[in-house]
Formats: sequence, structure tokens, C-alpha cells
Amino acid sequence: MTLAAADRAARRAPRGRSGPRTGKQPGALGRLLGSSLPYQLVTFVAFAAAWEVYATVWGGLLIPSFTETVHATIGLLVSAELWAAMYVSNQALALGFAIAVLIGVPAGIVLGRFRWLERFADVYLNILLVTPMAAIIPLLVMSLGFGLASRVVLVAIFSIVMVVVNSRAGVRQVDPSLIEMARSFGATERQIWTRVLLPGAMPAIMTGIRLGVGRAVTGMVIVELLMVSAALGGLILEYRGLFKAASLYGTIVIILAEALLLISAARWAERRLTGWAQTDSARSAR
Amino acid sequence: MIEIRGLGKSFVGQDGGTVEALHDVDLDVVENEFLTVLGPSGCGKTTLLKCIAGLIPWNEGDIVIDGTPVRGPGPDRSMVFQNFALLPWATVLDNVGFGLRLRGVGRAEREERARSLIDVVGLSGFETKRPHELSGGMQQRVGIARALAVQPSVLLMDEPFGAVDEQTRRLLQEELLSIWEQHRLTVVFITHSMEEAVLLGDRVVLMSARPGRIAEIVPVPLQRPRSNDVGALERSGAYVEITAYLWDRLREMHEEHRPSEVAG
Ligand SMILES: Nc1ncnc2c1ncn2[C@@H]1O[C@H](COP(=O)(O)OP(=O)(O)OP(=O)(O)O)[C@@H](O)[C@H]1O
Ligand SMILES: [Mg+2]
Repeated sequence: MTLAAADRAARRAPRGRSGPRTGKQPGALGRLLGSSLPYQLVTFVAFAAAWEVYATVWGGLLIPSFTETVHATIGLLVSAELWAAMYVSNQALALGFAIAVLIGVPAGIVLGRFRWLERFADVYLNILLVTPMAAIIPLLVMSLGFGLASRVVLVAIFSIVMVVVNSRAGVRQVDPSLIEMARSFGATERQIWTRVLLPGAMPAIMTGIRLGVGRAVTGMVIVELLMVSAALGGLILEYRGLFKAASLYGTIVIILAEALLLISAARWAERRLTGWAQTDSARSAR
Repeated sequence: MIEIRGLGKSFVGQDGGTVEALHDVDLDVVENEFLTVLGPSGCGKTTLLKCIAGLIPWNEGDIVIDGTPVRGPGPDRSMVFQNFALLPWATVLDNVGFGLRLRGVGRAEREERARSLIDVVGLSGFETKRPHELSGGMQQRVGIARALAVQPSVLLMDEPFGAVDEQTRRLLQEELLSIWEQHRLTVVFITHSMEEAVLLGDRVVLMSARPGRIAEIVPVPLQRPRSNDVGALERSGAYVEITAYLWDRLREMHEEHRPSEVAG
């Protein structure tokens, strides 16, 4: 949560209205250098080169070179096998994450508004936060079998904590004087929820969803690796068994790419929906 | 007309002890009167206002407005807050229309009324701005417009200009006077400032602390309208005299409590 807040504040910082403003607008080159993209490119190129050198000099069967990995990734992307696996994996991801959001957001909001519920819920939230999730996989398999249900539940369990904790924090951040203001204008309890609490908690809810997506992808892969050897996890295990190192790396690259894509999408939605919060918390931070 | 009879309110503190915030408060506020309430910090001014607003329950006594006992917030009253209490995600237009929206007023009518009040408080052109893009003074203009938009007969203001700078405060005082002179509504206005209490009020209610009660009600015999020449008013003998008197009384109240503070 603090990370998320710091992260939000950091993204906001350059837009702050307070500091001195330089007279001249930065040109295209200046903007490019100002963004993090060139630096990311530089580190990426350095990383790729180091990988290439390491793999060709010391590598063996188990460490593919960077170019081999790229080739394998492209090969995978045009293969039916990968897309079939992607489909199966993402089914669990989509269903599990949808469940996490549908249960987690209302649960978090209710916990935020009615503090006494805390006493009941805290234990479970802490369990969800600290338990090594791998440990509960056998339990899930025993009760739900090796099918989709187990994978969906695991993805949901993995991601729901972030959603609940952030939604709860979001509701708590809502200024109590806004609730009082709404009541003074005759707001019903329902209107307080829809017109004050929900919009006020939205930025934090969106942050929870973004962090939850990352956890959901983790959950999706772990459950496939450890439990059902299905889909993407199954591919990884298969390539490992066949010593197809480049394809193994390629699969991982593709999973990483998907995770990054989803997180970027969530971040974009977050900014679209809650632009008002940006300058607002920059202000409260100073 | 607001009639307050024998109002008593105690809070139960965290340690379980009770704090008597209001003790046997009797007060009549006449129709279209501008009443200011002055008193040391913690004497129960906010508590009194919240009781009138129907936001908090009280222990003893009655509050009756135009013959109807207060049971909760009502459409006849609206409030202006010291910290503005604007919705940070909503535009100026939506903030001003918020009270109307809660009351189910349709969009077209709501926006029309909101726009006309935005004009009254001098914020035309800022309709689509959000609160963080406005200065404190402008934010409180939004707060005032929002309160007026629901067409209340009683306007409750809790130190509305306490959080803005001195210059803005003077401008807002003049504008509030001229709005009140045109709209004619009953105002209960809480303040820490003797000058503000005298400048705005028809009468100044002086409250004392521990427990909060009404110490004295001081009439302000300055002519109306006042909005067009505040400067001359402030140099007039009556103004200076009443402000000085109020300060004497307030100082007495502070001194009454001082020995215990020194001992403690
Ligand atoms: N919710 C509450 N719980 C417990 N005590 C309270 C509560 N609200 C107010 N009090 C107490 O009641 C007394 C009156 O408070 P109130 O806020 O009405 O004073 P005030 O005159 O508005 O003060 P200020 O000028 O500082 O705004 C104070 O002693 C305060 O500590
Ligand atoms: Mg107060």
C-alpha cells in the first residue's frame, strides 16, 4: 500500500503545480530524454548483450543465447500450441481475477466503513497475506480436483488480498467531513455510498486492481506449475523435460509480456478514471 | 424563526468521562436575521451549529424552526464548512449542484441553478475546474454557492472564512453581506473574530466555555446595508466600541480559566 502510494506520488511529481516553472517548453528531444524510455532501452540493450556474450562463451545446453530466445519466442508466437495454452491459462486468470474483484472490492469497502468487522476479518486477511500459497495447492486439489475450478480459485485467492486491502484503505481515506457534508444536505445512507464513499475510494480501488492483476498472473503460473501442469505452466514443464531451453525461456518471456501488458492497461484505466486524485494527493503530501 | 430552548449536549469521551459541550442554551433567531456567534475555542459553537443542522442528537431541550421541531437535516437548512468540504473529484458545477442532486433535482434544472449561483459568487468561467485548481477563497465561494443552491431559509456557517487569508477574507465578507442583503435569509455565522462578528451580525452571541453556554447577546446597532462601505463602518465609533467591549468580555473569559492552566 505504501509502495502503491509512493508510486502514485512519483508519477504525479513532474506535474506538480507548486515548484518553480521553467520558462521554456522542452522540445521533442528533451521530452524523450525526460521520459524513462531511453534509459530502459539502454539497460535492455546492455542486458541483452551481456546475456548473448555469457551464453556463447559459457553457456551450454541449458542456457540459450539471447538471439536463440528471440527466435524461439517468435516461433512460439506463431504456433497453435502456445495460443491454445494461452487460452486455457487465461480462462483461469480472467475468471479468478473477476471473482477477486467482484468479491474483493465490496468486501474491502464494507471493512473500511464498518471498523468493528476488522476483528473478524483481520485474521483471514493476514493469513492470505503471509501464507505461502503453494502450500494450499494440495488442499485445493483435494477438494476441487485438477480442473479449471482449482485454478480459478487459486488465482482468486492470490489476487484478492491486494484488492481488499486497497479498497479498505480507500474508503478510510475518504474525508469524514465529506460524509458529514452529504448528510447535511439530506443524503440517505445509500447516497453516501454511491456519491461519496465509492468515488472517493476509487483511486485506491484501482491501485488494488492493478496490483491484483500482477498477483493473479503469478497465481495462474504457479498453480499450473505445481498442480495441474496445464496450459502455459504445462508448456514450461514440457520444454524443461525436453531440454528445449530456448522455448522454455521464450514461454517465460511471453508470460512476462502479458503481465506487463495487463498492468499497463490497469494503470491506464486507473489514470483515466481517477485523474482528479493525482494533484490532490500531491497536495496532501506536501 | 429558530427557537432553541434549554439545549444541553454532552459528549462521552474516549476515556469514558463526559464533556458537557452545551448547557441550557436558550436562543431565538429571528427571520432574516444575521446572527454571529463568538466565543473561545472549545466553547461548543460547532456543536450548537450541528445541533441546529440536525447532524448530531442532543440530550436536553428542543430546537424548533418555523414551528417544526428539528429531527434531522432538512431542506430548509444548509451548511457552509470551515474546511470547504468540496468533493475533490467533482467539477465546480457538480459541487455546486451536489445538494440538488441529492434531492433528486433533474440535470437540466440542477445545472441551470448551479450556473446562476456560480455567477452570484463570482466564479463564472470556472465551472469545469476541480477544487484543487482553485484557491482557498474560490473554494469557499463554491461552498457558499452549493449551500445557496438548495434555496435554504437558514444558512449555517461554521467559521467559513477561518481558513482563508486576510485579504480574501475581507472580500468574502463584503460579498456575503451583499448576497445576504439581496437574498434575505436567516444566517447563523460562527467566528473567532470580534471584527467579523460585529461587521456581519445584527446581534453577536457571546458564548463561554466549560460548559458551553450563552454569556451575553450583544446587539449591533450599525446601519444596513453595510456591504457598500465597509471601510467607513470600521472607522465608526459604534463599531470600535462594540469590538472593544467584546474583546474585554472574551479576555475576562480567558482569564477565568488561566489559573487552572498555570497550575496544570
Ligand atoms: N465528537 C466529540 N466527542 C467528544 N467530545 C467532543 C466532540 N465534539 C466536540 N467535543 C467537545 O465538546 C466541546 C465543544 O466542542 P466544539 O467543537 O463545539 O467547540 P467550538 O466552540 O466549535 O471550538 P472551536 O472554536 O475550536 O471550533 C469541546 O470541549 C470538545 O472537546
Ligand atoms: Mg468549531
